[in-house]
Amino acid sequence: MELLEIHHLSKSFPGVKALDDVSLAVRSGEVHALCGENGAGKSTLMHILSGNLNPETGKIVFDGKELRLKGPLDAFRSGISIVHQHLSLTDTLSVAENIFANRQPVTRWGLIDFERLYRESSVLLERLQIDVDPKARVGALSAGQKQMIEIAKALAREPKLLILDEPTASVTDKEVTILFRIIRQLTTEGVSVIYISHRLNEIFEIADTITVLRDGVLQGTWPARDLTRDSLIRLMVGRNLQLQEFASHRGEEVLLEARNLSNGYIPALNLKLHKGEILGMAGLVGAGRTEIARLLFGADPPQQGELLLDQQPVEVTHPENAILNGIFYLPEDRKTQSLFPHLSIEETLFSARLTGKAMTGKVKRFRENAAAFVKKLRVATPDTAKKVAQLSGGNQQKVFLAKLLLGEPKVLIADEPTHGIDIGAKHDVYNLLRQLAAEGRGIILISSELPELLILCDRILVIRDKKIAGSLLRNEASEARILELAMGSN
Amino acid sequence: MMNADSSYNMRSKRFYGLKTTCLVWVLLVTGVSCELPTRTGEGQAVQQPDETETAAPPENEEYVMVTTAVTMPMYVNHDQAAFKRWGEKMGVKVSILGPADWDVPAQINTLEEVIGTRPTGILVNGTDAALAQAINKAVAAGIPTVVYDSDIPGGRHHAFLGTDWYEIGRMQGEEMVKLTGGKGKIAYMGILGLSNMEDGFRGLLDVLAVYPGMQVVGKYDDKASVEEAARITSDVLAAHPDLAGLCGFDSNSGPGMALAVKELGKGGRVKITTVDWEPEHLSLVSQGIIHMLAGQKRELFTWYGAQFLHDMAHGTNRLSGNDERAGITSVPEKVNTGLIRITRENVALFLP
Amino acid sequence: MRKILEDRIYSLSVLLIVIVVVAGLVYPDTFLTADNFRQLLLNLSIDAIVAVGMMILLIAGVFDLSVGSILAFAGCFTAHLMFFYEVPVFWAVGAGLAASGLLGCLNGYLIAYKGINAMIQTLAMMGIARGLALMVSGAAIQNLPYWFGAIGQSKLLGVQMPVWYMLLIVGVFTFLMSKTVFFRRYYYIGSNEVAAALSGIRVKRMKMIAFIISALLAGIAGVLLTSRLGAALPTMGRGLELRVITAVILGGASLSGGVGRIPGALLGALFMGIAANIMVIARVSGYWQDIIVGIILILTLWTDQSLKKNYE
Repeated sequence: MELLEIHHLSKSFPGVKALDDVSLAVRSGEVHALCGENGAGKSTLMHILSGNLNPETGKIVFDGKELRLKGPLDAFRSGISIVHQHLSLTDTLSVAENIFANRQPVTRWGLIDFERLYRESSVLLERLQIDVDPKARVGALSAGQKQMIEIAKALAREPKLLILDEPTASVTDKEVTILFRIIRQLTTEGVSVIYISHRLNEIFEIADTITVLRDGVLQGTWPARDLTRDSLIRLMVGRNLQLQEFASHRGEEVLLEARNLSNGYIPALNLKLHKGEILGMAGLVGAGRTEIARLLFGADPPQQGELLLDQQPVEVTHPENAILNGIFYLPEDRKTQSLFPHLSIEETLFSARLTGKAMTGKVKRFRENAAAFVKKLRVATPDTAKKVAQLSGGNQQKVFLAKLLLGEPKVLIADEPTHGIDIGAKHDVYNLLRQLAAEGRGIILISSELPELLILCDRILVIRDKKIAGSLLRNEASEARILELAMGSN
Repeated sequence: MMNADSSYNMRSKRFYGLKTTCLVWVLLVTGVSCELPTRTGEGQAVQQPDETETAAPPENEEYVMVTTAVTMPMYVNHDQAAFKRWGEKMGVKVSILGPADWDVPAQINTLEEVIGTRPTGILVNGTDAALAQAINKAVAAGIPTVVYDSDIPGGRHHAFLGTDWYEIGRMQGEEMVKLTGGKGKIAYMGILGLSNMEDGFRGLLDVLAVYPGMQVVGKYDDKASVEEAARITSDVLAAHPDLAGLCGFDSNSGPGMALAVKELGKGGRVKITTVDWEPEHLSLVSQGIIHMLAGQKRELFTWYGAQFLHDMAHGTNRLSGNDERAGITSVPEKVNTGLIRITRENVALFLP
Repeated sequence: MRKILEDRIYSLSVLLIVIVVVAGLVYPDTFLTADNFRQLLLNLSIDAIVAVGMMILLIAGVFDLSVGSILAFAGCFTAHLMFFYEVPVFWAVGAGLAASGLLGCLNGYLIAYKGINAMIQTLAMMGIARGLALMVSGAAIQNLPYWFGAIGQSKLLGVQMPVWYMLLIVGVFTFLMSKTVFFRRYYYIGSNEVAAALSGIRVKRMKMIAFIISALLAGIAGVLLTSRLGAALPTMGRGLELRVITAVILGGASLSGGVGRIPGALLGALFMGIAANIMVIARVSGYWQDIIVGIILILTLWTDQSLKKNYE
């Protein structure tokens, strides 16, 4: 039986046709994966289903009735819950209050019944096997835990249709396993799930049906078993993507060396990065990879130990010092740590030149430079005066990389550079990192996607509990080996 | 902002060349045209408007009052009401301008902008000595200008009507001495930093200084707020339970002091004198909480002030062939409208 | 059309021209005169100078409520030194500006380095500086030295000096904010502080400097106003902070930071000045002015929001 039917839906924005006559159907109790590159129209479709946007033409039939949504609340009431990519939790409130946001159980006096709130929350959390205290403050949780709470929040409304938008983007493998178990359990209860992800392995593991969108146009719907990884990629991208063969550019010379480097968070870090090397950093969420990056970059400056660049000790007490020395950092969270929401591509690129003692230096004109980089990185816009916030995730990330490259880095620390970006852009990033290594720069690549580390890195450091738990050369590394080290099991 | 432009360098050179030329010109012109202000005391001849004693009644007669805090009830009910009544009686247009809040620089700005519109006469609320220059500008522009409330030293206005604030202080001091029998602790409050208030404070202190039994325990800023005055009063009474009297100098001092004294159950025992005679003040006098009000005749300020302007504009009383050329003014120069002493005995006559 | 509506510099200029033309037609003899324009420029020059500092702060994503009080303090302190200690004009002005810079530095240090909320800190400073102004000036200080008066009362090409200082300050900061790396950083800080720090900008130091600049400009405005009035009043600059923030927001800044240009500060102040002037000429009472400016502010932001929504 069809739970959701979408007929001939269209929606356009100034200059873009975001959805063009899209029709699809979701059966009760199935996991329906929605695939497509960023900008393919998935988000627009989700916003329409959650009542945030109105379609121009077409109709939606849900549970046998035509659906007309006036806002997100309408969607909830009809039985559609959505878990957005960007978290909607309030850090300062407890887990339970977040789960029951704006509809807390009340006593007969009309006051919040905290006892029942906590009781119902813990029942729900238990059912989902999420090991979090309902009284804990959300701000104190890890990104992965937050994601699970977000899902719990959506499920607390007992929806008939659950939409998950990149639910595993910041979640550890163990949590993915839990998530998949929950999804399977839900489907046996007759709940349908629309699953959006860039991680193809997951899609093939969980999805019953796959629908592909490209540039707002429906490419088709298939049973998952009828597609292969390659055929799916072809459908999404519309071209064949090939990874170049692995080639090491690791030189003998040590470029960056940390000797017993520590701050309040990271104890005694020792590592060496060679010229032309791509050094991977694997580990579970919360293992301390980002903190190590921030230590090396001076964002959380070291208190003890030594940092040597080209065998010379350098003092890195602020990102300014790091950048002046040629150490650059691409932050993990694009939206909160890289993006200047008001600024254009050109102005964002310019932020590479803001450091140092340039007290009175005139702003150099550099549209040509910017345009060259934009072209080189295949950013999908001809206009560098466009605001970065208006680009898709992959294109944003390319702009941020371009900004770092303008600073001529010796060392580039890239923290989850392909997080939540589409396959085409991912390949562009991979090729770029390789090219930088070939030019003799050193790259530290932090990633939660093991295949990515395995195809790119000369060496992989596995971080566990703020320490380096192991160092694997390319030929010794495998997903199993990395996971073993990361989780500390034998 | 960061628009690249390949011809930038060339253009900028030309641009700089142009700039230098401009700069030279500017400096030249500057040297020639920089005017310094006239020194005070360098007798500045008042510019004489050419039309003299033709003095036919001016056309489109309009009188403008420039004040500050135009919404203050005391101003609205006394000054502005009387001014408007005068306008109606005379059948001429009257306008009231100025900022809504107490903002002297804004009042000055308003006055200077009014001058350009050349009204028949300007009536200025003398809120602060800083008005002097703007007043002199109005006079130099040939507009009859009268100041009321507080006189402006250094101002060449044609006339002033007001109350002597020093006298208000003295009146309160003498009343306080009478009420307390010349012995006891006194506190006083008002808006610190206003020159008329400071004159009042001086008058009060000059009287009290003569009586060694009178002890001043504090000078407070009630910021023209009833709440603040009440808070100060209860604090002072906590520190000095034997406080004999309180003197107030702004409109809200009285109600605030009275409120605190009543709440502490000391109504009538702590002697209170203050300024102004708004309905609230009067009712507190009849209740015996406030013992004396030093009231101003504010209606007279603006009524006669406007009349002076009118008489100047119409040349009602000509004292010479040409009064302006003779350097005289044909209206009284300084008018002290006097004070109203309101106590329990005569308060009934002032109640509406 | 959309572009004009979206760029506040354009839209406000167009609005100003319309207002000037209409007012000129209605009051040809009183509004459209050189004297009147000289006067209204003089009257808004003080606000405009302070608005430049406020614009920088708002671009950086912070604001300062203490500018009005710092203005009063700088003027009163300078006058105090000249009147009671007979300090020469040059040194007294220098000391007054240094003192205002010091208060700004204190604001900036506590906000940027100690994490005190900007609104709370500058609210506290608003009281402190006003109290200090009252303390050093008493009722008011008059009879200031001749050369001090000359600072704000001299005329150049028939226009009184504060107008020229205003133009100079607006010009210099327009140049600095658009052409120099140093000042350009404020756009990045205001747009995203975290990303700015990760781009190697010393955010805390830059913020402190912004508060110092704002306080110094308030100090300059205070000295000019005192010189122009020929007297130091402790009540100078009351309500100035909100007036200036209004002007700056009209001029295209946003309380959330990252946007705005210095000429916008001048246009905002110009708008408020012309509005006030027309009310005086039309003989409209003072409180109407506040009401009308409030309505225009709401309309402006409303238009902005609707445009944004349309776009998304």
